[in-house]
Amino acid sequence: MYKYIISICFLFVFVNGFSQEQKIDTLINSKTDSIIYKTNYGLRLGIDISKPILAQFNGTYSGFEIVGDYRIKKNLYIAAEAGYEEETTAEDYTNSTSKGNYIRLGFNYNAYQNWLDMNNEIFIGYRYGFSLFEQTLNSYTSNVNTSYFPAITNTTPLTTMDLAAHWSELVFGFRAETFKNFFITLSGSYKVMMQVKQPENFKTLYSPGFNRIFETGTGFGFNYTLTYLIPFKKK
Amino acid sequence: MRKIILLLSFFLLINTSCEKDDFCIKNPITQSLIINFYDDSSKETLKNVKNLYVWAEGKTDSLYINQTINTITLPLNSIATETIYNFSKENVVNQFKITYTPEDEYVSRSCGFKVIFNDVTFSSDNTWIIDFTPETLTTIENQDEAHVQIYH
Repeated sequence: MYKYIISICFLFVFVNGFSQEQKIDTLINSKTDSIIYKTNYGLRLGIDISKPILAQFNGTYSGFEIVGDYRIKKNLYIAAEAGYEEETTAEDYTNSTSKGNYIRLGFNYNAYQNWLDMNNEIFIGYRYGFSLFEQTLNSYTSNVNTSYFPAITNTTPLTTMDLAAHWSELVFGFRAETFKNFFITLSGSYKVMMQVKQPENFKTLYSPGFNRIFETGTGFGFNYTLTYLIPFKKK
Repeated sequence: MRKIILLLSFFLLINTSCEKDDFCIKNPITQSLIINFYDDSSKETLKNVKNLYVWAEGKTDSLYINQTINTITLPLNSIATETIYNFSKENVVNQFKITYTPEDEYVSRSCGFKVIFNDVTFSSDNTWIIDFTPETLTTIENQDEAHVQIYH
């Protein structure tokens, strides 16, 4: 028994050993490492595949988005997304459809330190978003809160054209180069509405590019994109 | 790959759990008509109506059945421009007619549209009701106080 206890004690014994240490000045071959790993600079284009997938499972939604970015500095990219979205919002008392186009412009900053010539990213970014759309109030039932008299459902569609929204968003995402010049990106965004045009006697409940507008004027977005980098130069 | 799946499900969770952010807590949305019953001989004093039955014209079910009270809350028919109520006190029926212009007004995502009643006019065939005030109202706005005082 004691043998084991003594053996266990040896487990906690540690010794520091130095053998390869040499003062920098004494190095004979003090040339600095001259290999620089070059990475591609260029235009990256692709599509958001989460939107067609979402449209498959959700009959009230359809959307398409193309994404692109351009590398201007080692860790800085100019980024843009443009697309079309249509969504039907069903609430307890109202049913409305928003459809239209949007564009988001901004930049991404890559905070990930790549190893060798790898080209992955963990990025944060900012976008300014703008959308032009129309919203149709398909039907509504007045909230009469009584069952004594019936409440009829008004099914005359009421469309408001030329609605516009401006917003800001913060983006956080991951990007991985899976094949040469081919990237998969996963990102999420938090959006804050800056200005939105409201229809008369109704409210803009959904804006393309922004998604559902919450009571506080905030929203969330999610992107899953496949992109291809067209390399212009290496540096 | 596992990480991506984990992340994906996390975002999905965000998406689904944020489904409902507001509940309709403003209650009632569409305002009802509040009537107070006063004593005709001393017009400041509330007076109970004995054996009160209240039903809308053409309806078989009553809102108030054999009650002795001095204030009633009546819903108005939002799909018509008038509502006729029958007030029965000790088996004497008094018809009370309310005419108005209903208008839908948007409240919020969860509450939808409320109905506001404009240009309201009251009339009565005065069997047991002696008098009432006012005869017209521009709109039925809040539920804080009675809209009509009935003297009997």
